[in-house]
Amino acid sequence: MSSTEIGESVEELTPKFVGARVKRREDQRLLTGQGAYVDDHHPPGLLQAAFLRSPYAHARIARLDTSAALTRPGVVAVLTSKDLVPLVKPVRAASKMREYKETSFPPLAVEKVRYVGEALAVVIAESRYLAEDALEWINVEYDPLPTVANAPTAAQPDAPLLHDEAGSNILLSREFARGDVDAALASAAVRVRDRFRFRRHATVCMENRGCLADYPAGTGELTLRSATQCPGLLRDALADLLDMPEHRIRVVAADVGGGFGAKSSLYPEEIVLCAVARRLKRPVKWISDRQEDLKTSTQAWDEIVDAELGLQADGTIIGLRADVTTDIGAYSIYPWTATLEPIQTISFLSGPYRMPHYRGRNRGVATCKAPMGPYRGVGRPVTTFVLESLMDRAARLLALDPAELRLKNYIRADEFPYKTPAGLVWDQASLTECMQKARDVLDADTTTRWRAQARAAGRWVGIGFATYIELTGVGSAIPVSPGMPIATGTEAAFLRIDPAGTVTATFSVAPQGQGHETALAQVVADALGVAFDSVRVICGDTALAPQGTGTYASRSAVLAGGAAIRAGQTLKEKALKIAGHMMESNPANLDIRDGQVFLRDKPERGLPFRAVAKTAYAGLRRLPKDMEPGLEVTRFYDPFFGTASSATHVAVVEVDTETYAVTIKRYIVVEDCGRIINPLIVEGQVRGGVAQGIGAALYEEVVYDDAGQLLTGSLVDYLVPTASELLPIEVHHIETPSPTTLGGFRGMGEGGTIGAPAAIANAVSDALSHLGIEINEIPITPEKLFRLVRAAEGTP
Amino acid sequence: MKPPPFAYHAPTHLDEALALLERYGDDAKVLAGGQSLMPLLNFRLSYPSALIDINRVAELSYLRQENGQVCIGALTRQRTIEFSELARRQLPLLHEATTLVGHLPIRTRGTIGGSLAHADPAAEYPTVALVLDAELVLQGPGGRRSIPAEEFFVSYLTTALAPNEIVTEIRFSPAPRTSGWAFEEVARRHGDFALVGVAGVIDTEGEQCRTARLAAAGAGPTPIRLRAAEDILVREGVTEQGIQRAAAKAAELVEPDSDIHASADFRRHLTEVLTRRAIQRARERGQEQRA
Ligand SMILES: Cc1cc2nc3c(=O)[nH]c(=O)nc-3n(C[C@H](O)[C@H](O)[C@H](O)COP(=O)(O)OP(=O)(O)OC[C@H]3O[C@@H](n4cnc5c(N)ncnc54)[C@H](O)[C@@H]3O)c2cc1C
Repeated sequence: MSSTEIGESVEELTPKFVGARVKRREDQRLLTGQGAYVDDHHPPGLLQAAFLRSPYAHARIARLDTSAALTRPGVVAVLTSKDLVPLVKPVRAASKMREYKETSFPPLAVEKVRYVGEALAVVIAESRYLAEDALEWINVEYDPLPTVANAPTAAQPDAPLLHDEAGSNILLSREFARGDVDAALASAAVRVRDRFRFRRHATVCMENRGCLADYPAGTGELTLRSATQCPGLLRDALADLLDMPEHRIRVVAADVGGGFGAKSSLYPEEIVLCAVARRLKRPVKWISDRQEDLKTSTQAWDEIVDAELGLQADGTIIGLRADVTTDIGAYSIYPWTATLEPIQTISFLSGPYRMPHYRGRNRGVATCKAPMGPYRGVGRPVTTFVLESLMDRAARLLALDPAELRLKNYIRADEFPYKTPAGLVWDQASLTECMQKARDVLDADTTTRWRAQARAAGRWVGIGFATYIELTGVGSAIPVSPGMPIATGTEAAFLRIDPAGTVTATFSVAPQGQGHETALAQVVADALGVAFDSVRVICGDTALAPQGTGTYASRSAVLAGGAAIRAGQTLKEKALKIAGHMMESNPANLDIRDGQVFLRDKPERGLPFRAVAKTAYAGLRRLPKDMEPGLEVTRFYDPFFGTASSATHVAVVEVDTETYAVTIKRYIVVEDCGRIINPLIVEGQVRGGVAQGIGAALYEEVVYDDAGQLLTGSLVDYLVPTASELLPIEVHHIETPSPTTLGGFRGMGEGGTIGAPAAIANAVSDALSHLGIEINEIPITPEKLFRLVRAAEGTP
Repeated sequence: MKPPPFAYHAPTHLDEALALLERYGDDAKVLAGGQSLMPLLNFRLSYPSALIDINRVAELSYLRQENGQVCIGALTRQRTIEFSELARRQLPLLHEATTLVGHLPIRTRGTIGGSLAHADPAAEYPTVALVLDAELVLQGPGGRRSIPAEEFFVSYLTTALAPNEIVTEIRFSPAPRTSGWAFEEVARRHGDFALVGVAGVIDTEGEQCRTARLAAAGAGPTPIRLRAAEDILVREGVTEQGIQRAAAKAAELVEPDSDIHASADFRRHLTEVLTRRAIQRARERGQEQRA
C-alpha cells in the first residue's frame, strides 16, 4: 500500500456524522427485548442438545455406554467421539512459532478427559429437559489420573502429562530481547522487583454461548447461527473440518450479547451441532447454561510474572527483565492457539516507555482447567499491572512523583514511529498529553491535599495512575496470534445503493454490542455525503458478507471503517460521474451533501442523490458512454501495521481500615483513540471496559482446587461487579488522528480493561503505603488485605 | 441446569397442602418463592418426587398486629415487609434486614417462611428471628405447634421442621420503644449473602445498658446468639471498654468456616468489627428514639 493513499483520505472525508454523538440505532431493539439472539430462533422440527460433561479433572474413560440413554423419552440420538470420527476431522490449532507444540482438541473427549466440564457425549432430544434427563442414563466409568493442577507443578519434569503427544506440559516458550539487560540492571542505581500474580478470569457475557445448526437436505446448505464474534472464521474452519465447500456453509451471528474475546474461538459444541444437524437433517440447538459457560468458555490470564525494573538515579529507565508463566488450561484453542495471551505479555511488557534493555520470557503450561483464550485486552492488562506497579515502587524509592516519573520516561513525540524491544511499531501516541490532562482533571494538587488530610484523620486513601499503549487495528504485517495460519489483516465493505437512493452497507465484522450499525453508518454516510438515516448497516452473516473474519482485537473501526471509506468513495465517484452527465457539468465540480448533489461554485444548482441512483440503474441510454450500470462495490482494507491507542487512567480509592473493603471514589480515563467516530460509543466502550477492569481488580477470580474442581461454577461464587459496585467514570479524550490508518481511526474496544486493574492496584498500594504494603496480586479481596495488614502489623 | 422430573401440585388451602405433604412422606418439597429451592433443583442437587406449590394458599400471606405481637404469614413476600408501615414502625430491625436480602426481584418473590425454613446461616431473617426471640408456628397433620427461633435452627440448612409440617406464621414481640437496633453486615457485593452479619437490639440509658440482644449471621452452622457478649454489655454498660469487650467476646463465640470468599479468621475479625458497629449504631438510634 502506498503512503499517499493513506494520507489523502483523512483530508478528503468531510465529517458530518463522524465525530457526532449519534444515538445508537441498535439500542431501540436491543434495550427493549427485541433483539434476535440464537435462542430466539425456533425453526420447525427443532431438536435440543445437552452435553455430558466430565466431573473429573483428568481421567481415562474406561467405559462409555449410551444404550440406556437412547431409550429414554424424547431422545433422538446420542453421540460420542466414536460417532464423530466419520463426520468431522480433528481440530488442531496450528502455529509456525518455533517452540510451540501442536496438540489435538477433540470436540468430544477421546480416551481421556482433561478438565472438569469437558464434553464426552451429546444427547439430542425433543426438549432440553428430556435431553438433560437422559444424560443421567449414560453409563460412564472413569479411571482417575493424577491432576495437573497448576502451571508451576505442571512445568516440573516429572509432572504427569496432559497431552502425551506433546511430551511435556510446556506447550510453548518464547523470548524477546533487546540490548544487554543483565548488564544494564547490574549497573542500575535503583532496582525494583516482585513476583506478580494475575489470577484466572472468566468471561461473563449477558448471553451465554449457544448455537443452532440446520442442514435442510433439499439445499444441502449448512446454516449455523452462533453467538460468535467471528462468523467468517467459523465458516472457514467448519468447511475444512466437515469437508464441505465454503459456499455451502453459512454462519450467522445476528444479535450477540457480549463476547469480550470468549466468543472468538471455534468451540466443540459448534462442531458437534453441525455434524449432528448434517446427519439428522433436522435443526439442532444448544444453549449453554451459566454453569456450562463458567466451566467451558475460554478463560483468561492466570499468570505469574517475575519482573525487575532498573532505573538511573534520576529516574530514567534503563532496563526490564521478566519471566512469565501462563497457565493455558487443558487445550490449545482454534484458531488463536495457546500462544496468544502468553506471547502478547512479553510483547507488551515494555509499555509506553523508552526501554533500552529488555528481556521477556514466557512459557505456556497446560493444566487441567478450561482452555485459555483471548479476553478484552489480551496480554496488556497483566503487563500494565506489572510495569505500572514497578513504576510506582521506583517512584517511592526515588521519592519522585509517580506522574513525573512516567512523564520522564514516556516515548517522546519526536521518537515515533517507535520500535519496541519485541519488534512492534507504535505509529504515534499522545502519552504526555493524556497524563497531563489526567492530572488536570484530577486536580492533582487539591487531591493530594485531600489525601494528606484524610490520612491525618486515620483514613486509608490512595491515588493510582496507569498508562498503557496498545496495538489496535492490526493489519497483515503481524498475525493477531503468532505463527497462525489464518489471515486476520483485512476486512471488506459491501456497499449497495438501490435505485431509490438508500444504501445498504454490509460488513464481515460482527458486533456483540459495540454499536457497529451506528458507527459504520456514520462513516458510510460521510463518505457518500448522504443522510445517516438512508444508510443501513448489516453485519455478521457470511452469506451477505463472505470475506472477513469478525469483530475482535479492537479492529472493526479501523478495518471495517477503512473499507467503508473506500467503498463510499468509489461509489461517490461513480455517482458524481452520473450526476455530471445528467447535469452536463464536470464531475470534478460536483459534490454531495445531505443527499443532494450540487455544483461546488453554485450550491443552489443540483439534484437529489436519489435521482442519480435511479439513473444508475436506468440503462446505458441514460449513462455516460462506456459506463456499466449499477451502484455497487466491494472494497477491502488492510491497515498493514495497525495503529497505537493509549490512555492514562487514575483511580482514587479508600480502604476500610476494619473491613478492608475497597471503595473507588473517583475514576478518570483520558484516552486517545485517534479520530472519534462517535463519542457516545467510545465512552460506552471505555466505561464497559473499566467496569470489567474493576471486576478484575476487586472481585473476579476463577478458582480451581488442587483436584481440579471448579469452585466458582455459578455467579454466587464468581463475582462480577454489578451497577451497585460501579461509579460514574469520568472519560476525556485527546483526539490525534492516526497517521497510518484510513480515516485516522485507532481501535479502542479493549483499553478500559487494560488500565483499570493497574490503576486500582496502585491506588490501593498508595493507600496502604504507610504499612509498606505493595499489591502484587489481583483481585484485591478483603480477605487478602486482611492478611497483608496482619502481616505488616506483625499480628499472626 | 434443568430440574429433574417432579410431580407438581398447586393447592389453594393449607389443609390440602398438608394432606399432599403427608401423602409423599419426606419425598416432597414445599415451593414458596423458589429463590432458594429452584437453584437447588436446577443444579440437580435435590431430587424431590413432588413439589407442593403454596403460592396460591392465600391464607398464609398477611402481616398484622395481634395481642401486642406482629404476626406474619409464612408466604408474605420480603418485598411486602420492606414496604409495610407496620413492620417499619414495630419491627425496624426486620425492616432494615429486609433491604439487605438479595435484590429487588428476589425480594419480590422470596418469602419470610421460605427464608426461615431454608435456614441458610448467612441469611438475614433467621438471625433477626433469633435476636428478636421470634416464635415460629408450624402446622402438621397432627395440628399446630409453636417453637422459639432458638430451637428452630438446628444446623446448616437444617431445622426442627418435620417433613410433613409447614411453617405458617412467624410471631414477633416488638422491642421496647426506647431501644435501638442495627443490622450490620459485610458482603462482597451489594445484595450478596453476608460474609458476616451482626444484628443487635439494645436498650440503654446513658452508659447503662438495660437489655442487649445480639446475634451473628454467617459465622457458624446456624445463626448464633451472642449471649455472653450481651451479658458483658449489661454488666459493663455501653462504655468504650464495655463495647470493645463485648465485641471481642462475640468473636470468641462464633464458629465460622473458611470458604473461597473469606477465611474463618477473617470472619471472626469481622464479627468483632460488626458487633462493635452494631452496638454503636443501635445505641445512637435508641438515643434518637427517646429524643
Ligand atoms: C441471587 C440471590 C441472592 C440472594 N441473596 C440473599 C440474601 O442476601 N439474604 C438472604 O437472606 N437470602 C438471599 N437469597 C435467598 C432468598 O431470600 C430466598 O427467597 C429465601 O432464602 C427462600 O425463600 P423462598 O420463599 O424463595 O423459598 P423457596 O426457595 O421456595 O424454599 C426454600 C426452602 O424452604 C422450604 N419452604 C418454603 N416455604 C416453606 C414453608 N412455609 N414451610 C415449610 N417449608 C418451606 C422449601 O421447601 C425449601 O426447602 C438470595 C437468593 C438469590 C437467588
